[in-house]
This record gives sequence, C-alpha cells and structure tokens, in this order.
Amino acid sequence: MKNKPFTKNIIKLEDIEKTCNNIIEKLKDDVYNKLQRKGGIVGISGGIDSSVTLALAVKAFGKENVTGILLPEKDSSPDSAMLANKLAEKFGIKTIVENISDALDGFGCYRRRDEAMQRVFPEYDPKTYKSKIAIKQDVLNQNMPSIFSLVIIDKNGNQKSKMLPMNEYLQIVAASNFKQRSRMSMLYYHAEALHYAVIGTPNKHEVEQGFFVKYGDGGADVMPIGDLYKSQVYEIAAYLGVPQEIIDRTPTTDTYSAEQTQEEFFYQLPFELMDLIWYGWENDYDTGDVAYALNLKPNQIEHVYKTFERKMKTTEYLRLAPIRDYK
Amino acid sequence: MKQNTTSTERIKEYVINNAAGTNNFQIDESTLLFEEGLFDSMGFMALIAFLQEEYNIQANDDELVVENFESINAIVTYVNKKLSA
Repeated sequence: MKNKPFTKNIIKLEDIEKTCNNIIEKLKDDVYNKLQRKGGIVGISGGIDSSVTLALAVKAFGKENVTGILLPEKDSSPDSAMLANKLAEKFGIKTIVENISDALDGFGCYRRRDEAMQRVFPEYDPKTYKSKIAIKQDVLNQNMPSIFSLVIIDKNGNQKSKMLPMNEYLQIVAASNFKQRSRMSMLYYHAEALHYAVIGTPNKHEVEQGFFVKYGDGGADVMPIGDLYKSQVYEIAAYLGVPQEIIDRTPTTDTYSAEQTQEEFFYQLPFELMDLIWYGWENDYDTGDVAYALNLKPNQIEHVYKTFERKMKTTEYLRLAPIRDYK
Repeated sequence: MKQNTTSTERIKEYVINNAAGTNNFQIDESTLLFEEGLFDSMGFMALIAFLQEEYNIQANDDELVVENFESINAIVTYVNKKLSA
C-alpha cells in the first residue's frame, strides 16, 4: 500500500472522540474481562502522560473506581505533587500519598548514586549540589551513539559538566532505577489491596525507544496510551480537560535533583519533531520527503533514523518478557 | 611509525572483539562503525574507557565528534594526535 504524502499534520488525530472511545472501551474490556479486576490504580506525577492515563481510566471505570497514587521522594519537584493534586481534584478521584524516600534510603539508592557521582566530581555533595545526567550530541547533525555527561550545579548556580565513564554511568542509572521500581511495588500494593489493575503510563515513544525502567514504570497491567505519539497525548489531554498547567509543563524526568527535561536526558529532539520523524521512520518514508515537510536536510533525517534504529535495537531487552523456551 | 602500527593493530583488535552483531561482517580500517550499527552507547563508552586505559587518553567533551571515532582509521588518527599533543 502506498503511503499518504508526508506532511506536518500526518499524525494529527482525525477524530479525537473516536480515538478516546476506542481506548476507553478496550480499557474496560481488558481490565474487567481479561484481567478480572474492578478498577484502576494510576501513579500520578503531574506530568502529561500520567494525567491523560488517569483521565482515560476515570472515563472507563468511573471516578469511584480509580485511585491516584502520588509517589514523591526527596529529589521530586514540589510542582509534581501540586499538579497531581490539581488533576485529582479536576477528575474527582481519591488520592493516596506514599513518600518513598525511606524505602530508597533502605535500598541505598541515594548512597550508591552519590558514590558514583563523587568518583566523577569529588567535590559533589548532595546537600549543597544538584545533579543530573545529560546527552550533549546533536542528533540532527551527527550519527553517533549517545554519550552521557554528569552535570552538577552548586548553590550559586555554577554548573560543571563532565563526560561519564561507563562504570559510573551504569551505577548512577542502576541506583536511580530504584525509584521507578519502588514506585511500581507500591502501585501493586494498592492495586492488590483493592483488587484493581495497575494502569501504566508510558506513551509510544517511551515503550518503543526504551525510555522506561524494566519492572519499574514499565511494570503495569495495561498501557492505554502506549500506542500514542506524544503530540497525540497532548491532543487527548486538551480534549479530556486535563488542567492547562499540566499541558503547559515541559516534560521532565523528575528523577534527578536538578531540573532535567526528557529531551536533554534521552530524546535529543523536541517531541513535536521527534513524533513526525518517528512516524516517517516506522512507515518507511523517504528521508527527502520527511526533510522537505519539516524544512530540514535529508542527511539530518537520516541521522535521526539511524538513532531510532540504534535505540530500538539496544533497548530490545527492556521489552522482552523473561525467556523461558529452554526445553 | 611504530606507534602508528601498534595503535592500528591494537585498536583494530579491540573493535573487532567488541563490535556488536558482526556475524558474517568483515570489519576493516575504514568500516563506518556507527553507520553500520556496530557500536551503541555502551560500546562507545567502553571504547573510550579502553583508550583511557590503554593509552592514558582522556577524551574531552568537544572531541566526542563523529570524525574522531567513525572508523578504526579515525580512532587511530585521534589517538596519535592525542599522544603527540
């Protein structure tokens, strides 16, 4: 089948109401019939993905059968709780706050992470510095794998950045992943206590490019927005009445103590552009057609296509269920 | 000249032993390692760690460009440039 001409509007939802109704009907069928559960638990962070997931869950199960769980820890932005509460108020759901900082202390999450950071910057002190991980490469103009840098910021806003050696990078990520995995454990506690399902919040990019933690935020019973581009998530957010402050918020990871956007940590592109190039890549559009529509050069699109291929390949293990065909 | 030869052989050996998905694929000095998908982020970070350990080379942020790492030849040129600096 021949592809339709590539334009900037190619992934715009043609009928938002119909898309929402399809998701809601499938969510009901999956949770009530396949999973045999009577409602949904959603971890709400004040971000766009969890907000839209919650709004869809409320439409599917009714507000009395959905509970929103806030899971702050000591590096969380205060905005997250404020926005999550606004969302809960808007959709009339019950919320439970579970601060996971003590659990993370017990796992040694902060200590293990800080030890690795101090090997890179001996002066780093978590009490006086903020920190984050960033990717510096320009994905549009270079075809090379990501190299991560550790950024530390002192009280006066002075910033230092250094390339992360592999062992330190792996330790920081492994330690930080306790956050998502602790959240998953807590969501399942509440889901099992209420005989509900855990409604996962990853969108299409997070699932397919591997921007999630295996058995962390990737641990859920259903993922109702798992097939939606980020820009489509925003379209649905506006349609379902998600508070404007949440729609206007820059997507962040809310994982490291310094403010860190998803773009600088992982995607390396604004999501509007990434969505369109991803669509072009997965539907085999010629790089020239995509470049023309987006006012870019074909070799820039080629670089991004290569990055997508690399990410799909290197994150394949995250999407794999345990392998058990050993007989 | 000896240094060049040593670097090329040692780096080539490292790349061949550590490149991903090389079944039925012949790597030579000019093979484009990223274009061919032979090195991902972990592989690239390990390569940088190898250069540091083997040659005591500390790669600066502004040196992490495709021209310095795209092939065995490029890596050798980069290593020799760093060693002679």
